[in-house]
Amino acid sequence: MNKKFVDMLVVLLITAVITLVGNFIGYKINPIAAIPGMLILIGIVVVGILLAEIIPVKLPSIVYISLIGIIITIPGFPGAAFFTAMVSQVQFLSLTTPVLAYAGISIGKDLDAFREVGWKIIVVSMFVFVGTFVGSAIIAQVVLKLIGQI
Amino acid sequence: MKRDIKLHVIALVLVVIAELIGAKSFKVGPGTVVLLPMLFALIMGMLLGPKVLKIVDMDDMKRAAPWINISVMLLIAKYGTNIGPTMPLLLKSSPALILQEFGNLGTIFLSLPIAMLLGLKRETIGACFSIAREGSLAIVSDVYGLDTPEGRGVMGVYISGTLFGTIFFGIMAGLLSPVFHPFALAMACGVGSASMMAASSGSLVAIFPQYASEIQAFASASNLLTGADGVYMSIFMALPITEWLYKKFSRGKAAVKAEVGADE
Repeated sequence: MNKKFVDMLVVLLITAVITLVGNFIGYKINPIAAIPGMLILIGIVVVGILLAEIIPVKLPSIVYISLIGIIITIPGFPGAAFFTAMVSQVQFLSLTTPVLAYAGISIGKDLDAFREVGWKIIVVSMFVFVGTFVGSAIIAQVVLKLIGQI
Repeated sequence: MKRDIKLHVIALVLVVIAELIGAKSFKVGPGTVVLLPMLFALIMGMLLGPKVLKIVDMDDMKRAAPWINISVMLLIAKYGTNIGPTMPLLLKSSPALILQEFGNLGTIFLSLPIAMLLGLKRETIGACFSIAREGSLAIVSDVYGLDTPEGRGVMGVYISGTLFGTIFFGIMAGLLSPVFHPFALAMACGVGSASMMAASSGSLVAIFPQYASEIQAFASASNLLTGADGVYMSIFMALPITEWLYKKFSRGKAAVKAEVGADE
């Protein structure tokens, strides 16, 4: 095993522990009850990273990670109900908090670059974000209505 | 190693405080603003830097940066497990899921006129063709180079998005909640960035708890699609449309200027 992989695994396990703490404080889920779900998530990530290394088609590891997550929980896949039930003990919002904690810690390094960007680009950025969100929401709303899903 | 431990302990403390505060939501007009624990963690983390509290220095910030990508993998795995069980619903809604991908082009028509009114030149093209995540940076650097006006445009939106994208998306989704159906909003959350998607779909889940699993499934499926089609969409549609609109607008602007000049 190379060092890069081990370093990554360490950060992964630390994040998992922090998440279990947040999952307990924010959502009152006993860490013992959430450990199996967390181990499944870690397993998905590790297999996803290994697949990205092994498979010669160069795709980012997150593609494999999400695909594995999807496949093992599709109704009918062996153990799907078990995987789904276990993973549901790990609240998705409690997974987001550590990500943004690390982002917050590291973001200061971009502040100087931000000062150089200028207020005009910041204003434009807001319209960029609104545009992509509202554009998708309008189309989704219309099509969902047309096919009778809402 | 010691420094790493310090940073992880800081992250743990931030998470504990953020989760103790919990999600706060309040009404703004007809919409709802939801402030999630992740936003508190982000803001507290930003305050630790050398500019304010001086608890972390430049070296610390650089160390913590790659951990974002590692910790986000657990979130991605979780999102996958949200998609699986709802596969039948997703398949039934697949026309909407696929077609709303073209809504990501909506940003061009809204933001390009604004950028040009503000007087941006070819920065407009880099800034307005996408929400400027890593993939867009790669495309612009390939097509124009990053030290060009187009490159500065995409970098500017990239930096804005990194700094306040999650906050902005979280608040926007809540404010728009009375306008669209929660499923349509959920699909819109998939903009191609895991943290922006988490923030906007998190707000929606807080507002529509009865649809929690559907919202997460639609948002993650849409985000996955955007991740898959984003590069092709950008190269074959978004960039050409942006270039074309930019030329139209700058010609229009020049014509207006010439007319004004003739009158004087």
